[in-house]
Amino acid sequence: MLDFLPTVSIALVFAVSFLVTFASTPIIGKIMRKRGITGKDVHKLESKKLPEMCGLAILLGLTVGVAIYTLIFPNAIREAAAFIGTVLIAGAIGIVDDLRPLSARIKPLLTAAACVPILLLGTYDPLPVIPFVGPVRFTIIYPLLIPIALAVTSNSVNMMDVMNGTMAGTVSVIAVIITAILLIAGRTETAALAAGLLAVSLAFYYFNRYPAKVFDGDTGSLAVGAALGALAILGRIETVVVVALIPHIMNAFYGLASVGRLYERREIRQRPIRLLKNGELQASEERGAPITLARVILAAGPWGEKEISRAMIILTLISSILAALTFGITMVGKI
Amino acid sequence: MKRLVPLAGIEVLVWAMLLLCMLLISRVAFEITIGTGTLLDRIATQTVRVLMSGIIILVWLVAWKKITDRYFWRTIARRKAT
Repeated sequence: MLDFLPTVSIALVFAVSFLVTFASTPIIGKIMRKRGITGKDVHKLESKKLPEMCGLAILLGLTVGVAIYTLIFPNAIREAAAFIGTVLIAGAIGIVDDLRPLSARIKPLLTAAACVPILLLGTYDPLPVIPFVGPVRFTIIYPLLIPIALAVTSNSVNMMDVMNGTMAGTVSVIAVIITAILLIAGRTETAALAAGLLAVSLAFYYFNRYPAKVFDGDTGSLAVGAALGALAILGRIETVVVVALIPHIMNAFYGLASVGRLYERREIRQRPIRLLKNGELQASEERGAPITLARVILAAGPWGEKEISRAMIILTLISSILAALTFGITMVGKI
Repeated sequence: MKRLVPLAGIEVLVWAMLLLCMLLISRVAFEITIGTGTLLDRIATQTVRVLMSGIIILVWLVAWKKITDRYFWRTIARRKAT
C-alpha cells in the first residue's frame, strides 16, 4: 500500500509501537503492583519494590506495531508472523520465568524453541553473509544453528538486564544501527520490524532508566533478545548483530566462564559487585565471583548505578559503530 | 568516563580479532571439501566446516576472556596498591 514511501511506512510502525508501549507501561505497572508482582531495586540504599513483568508493554507494542506492518507490507506477512511468533514465544517463556523461576539449564533450551516460527515458515536464507567471504551456503547446517543463535541473543540480553535502563538503553542503540543498516541494504520490510523494536525499547527506556519506575522482567528481556536474533536471521545480518552484541556476549560469556556452568543470578553466593554505604557500587575482589561487565567496569573503583548504566550504553554504542563498520567491510567485499 | 577507554580498546581489539577469525575461516575452514558432491559428502563437508569455524571462534572467545581477565585483575591490583 505504501511501498512507494518506505520512510513513511517505517515511521508509522515506529510511532504506533512507541505510543502503545509508552501508554501501556504505567498501566501494566499499576496492575503488577496491585497483584504483588514486584521486585527489589537492589543497587540502591533504599531498596524499593518496583512492579515486575512490565515487559508485557514491550510485547504489546511490538504486536500492535507488527499488525500495522502487515497492513503496510501485506506481501511480508510470513516474515511478520515469524518475527512476532518468535518474540511472543520468548516473551511467554519470560512470563513463566517471572512467575515461577526456571532453572539455569531449562531456560536456554526453552528460548532456543522460540525459533520454531522461523523454521516452520521458512523465513530464513541459509546464506549468511560473512566479511571477506560473502554469502556462504549452509543449506543443511543453518537451520540447526538458528535455535542456538536465538538462545544466545535472548539469554545474553537477559543477563545484561542488571542495572536500571541497561537492557532498554543498550537495545535501543543496537536497534538504531540495525534499522539504518537494513535500510541501506534495501531490506525495507525488515527495517520496519527493527524500527518497531527501536520504538518499544525507547518507550520502555523512559520508565526503566535510572531511577527506574518499572522492571521489564524476563518477559521483556528474553523477548527483546529473541527479537534481535530474529532480525539478524530475517535481515541476513548475523555477523553485524554479533558485533553489536559484543558487550552483551562479554557479560554473559565471562560470567559463565568464570563460574564454569550455566547459572541464575539468585544462585550465586559470591556476588560480583556490592553496595557501599555511600550508595556507590564496588567490584568484588573474591576470585570465585562471576566476572560480569559491571564488575569489569567497577575494577577501576566504585561508581554509581547511573554511571555504570551509562557506561554500558556507551560500550554498546562503540560496538554498534563497529557493527556498522563490519557491514561496510561486508558490502565492500561484495563489490 | 575515562575508565571506559581501556574497555573500548578491548572492544576494538576483540572486533579486529573477530575479523581475523573470519579471514581464517574463509581461507582455512571453507576450503575444506569432502568427497565428490553426494548428499552425504555435502553434509560431511558442511559439518566439518562448521566444526572448524567453531574451533576458530572458540579460540577467539578464549583469547577475549584472557585479555579481559588480565585487565580486570591488573586494575584491581593497581587500585589496591594506591
